[in-house]
Amino acid sequence: MIPPWRINDLLDKVENGPIALEKDFDLKIFSKKLREVIKTYDIRFDPENIVPSDNSLADSVWKAAWDLYLDVGTFCVNTHRRILFEEEEIREAMSAFPEKIWVGSGKDTREVYHREIEDRRRPFCVFSPSLPFSEELFLPAQMAFMQEPLADGAGAPEYMRIVGRDNRTGGPFEIQAAQGHAGMIREAARRVGRPGIYLADVQSAVSDAAQIAASNPEWGVRLTDGRMVGTIAELKISNWELNKMVHFHQFGYLVMALFGPMYGGFCGGAEGVAVVNVAAHLQGLMVNQGHMDVDFPFDIRYGNNTSRELLWATSVTWQALARNTPFMSMSNGMAAAGPFTEMVLYEAAAHGLVSTVSGAHLWECFAAGNKHPDRTTPMEARMACEVGHAAAKIGMKREDAREIATQIVKRYEKDIPKAPIGKKFQECYDPVKVKPTAEYSSLFRNVKKELQNLGIEFPY
Amino acid sequence: MVSSGFRPVFTETSALDVEAELGSSPQLINNDRFALIISQRRFMMLREDVFEQLRDAVIRGDEQTAKKLSEDIVRAGADALQVIERYLSPAIKLVGQKFETGQYFLTDLMYSAEALKSATGILTAGMRTEERERLREEKVGVVVLGTVAGDVHDIGKNILGLLLEANGFGLHDLGRDVQSIKFIEKGGEVNADIIALSALMTTTRPAQKEVIDFLKGMGLKENYIVMVGGAPTSKDWADEIGADGWAETAEEGVRLAQKILKETSR
Repeated sequence: MIPPWRINDLLDKVENGPIALEKDFDLKIFSKKLREVIKTYDIRFDPENIVPSDNSLADSVWKAAWDLYLDVGTFCVNTHRRILFEEEEIREAMSAFPEKIWVGSGKDTREVYHREIEDRRRPFCVFSPSLPFSEELFLPAQMAFMQEPLADGAGAPEYMRIVGRDNRTGGPFEIQAAQGHAGMIREAARRVGRPGIYLADVQSAVSDAAQIAASNPEWGVRLTDGRMVGTIAELKISNWELNKMVHFHQFGYLVMALFGPMYGGFCGGAEGVAVVNVAAHLQGLMVNQGHMDVDFPFDIRYGNNTSRELLWATSVTWQALARNTPFMSMSNGMAAAGPFTEMVLYEAAAHGLVSTVSGAHLWECFAAGNKHPDRTTPMEARMACEVGHAAAKIGMKREDAREIATQIVKRYEKDIPKAPIGKKFQECYDPVKVKPTAEYSSLFRNVKKELQNLGIEFPY
Repeated sequence: MVSSGFRPVFTETSALDVEAELGSSPQLINNDRFALIISQRRFMMLREDVFEQLRDAVIRGDEQTAKKLSEDIVRAGADALQVIERYLSPAIKLVGQKFETGQYFLTDLMYSAEALKSATGILTAGMRTEERERLREEKVGVVVLGTVAGDVHDIGKNILGLLLEANGFGLHDLGRDVQSIKFIEKGGEVNADIIALSALMTTTRPAQKEVIDFLKGMGLKENYIVMVGGAPTSKDWADEIGADGWAETAEEGVRLAQKILKETSR
């Protein structure tokens, strides 16, 4: 059972694949092929149909992605070689992929499985700030996210500073930050009564050395927690990430493959984002060697994936994956607006709804374009996951999700370019008692009521 | 004075045929005084749409067509500097505007930049030194650009680079994961006006401060305008570290660079 798939064969390809200049890979290989497959399979974005019900569209996106990845492969920015696979190799890996995995430990163990379109089984929900936080807020913020009842797993804030010094990538304080992070999130988990909760990655550590430094079942990252192997946009990887991948598998970790195709970047528009999103999952399997995927397509201008274009791309991506792969994949929400705004709650709702009905698990929710330290709270993730759970419970159909999501989007889409950045965590939560303020709770309930009127059947 | 053998070309004849036509009056070609007049007349008498076709090829990112048309124009002896100024500069400016308004994406911008680069390379190859000097002097400013040490994100930086070039800046892109001292070394080498630093992670943005600290420590801070940008940066961050400017988007970065250069009259 994989991952990892033939790890040394993969590394041979990294060292010996065809040589290319990166610029040629971007323009002459990747972009050219992407345009070709979009045309060949006639993939078109329809702004009035953000949750398509047409299975043939999903299958076309799958075929386009398959052709793209087989032809283009993954580019290693350090060896300047393309990592290419035979069709048989990818099919072998897909056949040997597990049907389910278990994460977390003890009473906090959770099962993760492949989801289908309109699946009645609820999505696996990771609540995660995944944003830089002030050092003094790290513990309360982490506790706030972990204590949410719908959290099956938790990501964490990132240390901007550690022991009062800058956490600088590649330097010794990054090692400090990584080890501090790994220890502190376990402390947070204990304090909220969830010592075995699945802890998804050490976000304070970017370099391979820092990630490796945090590997320690005794005080750091446990074998039941998650480790992340990232990518470079689009369909690229670096030696840092490959080093992490080798270490994680040798140590015995469950691995997540992370990617975020960019609308407006090399992918172009919505069609390109959808195709590359799916192709990135193939890289996630064969190169990043992930048991699960975490995927955050986003708009390069606003840092969100809650516009019609990105919601459509999200929907067709996960429909394509649900119908054609065994993958377990999380859709990572990114809102343009910040905490304590109506807009961010509507954006979270739209993302949670569209992703769940299309077959994704959920990783929620980056707020304020994921750009502003301390500006995210569990409330946004709570909204996305409550909506997701509600949709799954009734096995909501795509056409119903489309109708509701379209109404939600109309409430905020014109404000995306100048979205409000909202308030900081400590303005939305009591950081000592780790509770949301009455005001934010009231706002949350009001928006939930509006969503109920639109057709979301919340169980509570 | 123009020989009666010279006639305007208003037919489907290509630029190559123009040269063949004019070659029938050798005393004109060998005469420097008349060669200049003929060069100017050739420029005007070539089908206007040849230049428009070149402009359009750059706008749509068609490198092959841009190359062919540029070769045709050079063979016809047209004034390369005029072609660049009247057709190519506006073309790439339009491409920049299309990107800013969301009509074009990054790949479109890059295809156009490649087409422009190929066309300009062919057109300038035959230029006289004084013409090349004039082209260089017409650069708005010289920028050294890169993503800071430890950071491999470069798409935003690439977009800024393309837009800077589209707006007449001379660009030296150092790439990604650039050690702080390299910005300063390159700045000195090319006599840069601006050092532009991109960081996409909170844990790499301290390197922007490091570049500025190095400049101060070496007594070079006044020699350069330092601009910073990238997702984890802000105006407050830029002020904190002593940067001269900060922009939220690549488009704003170009406008800011233009503004600061004008204000400092560099």
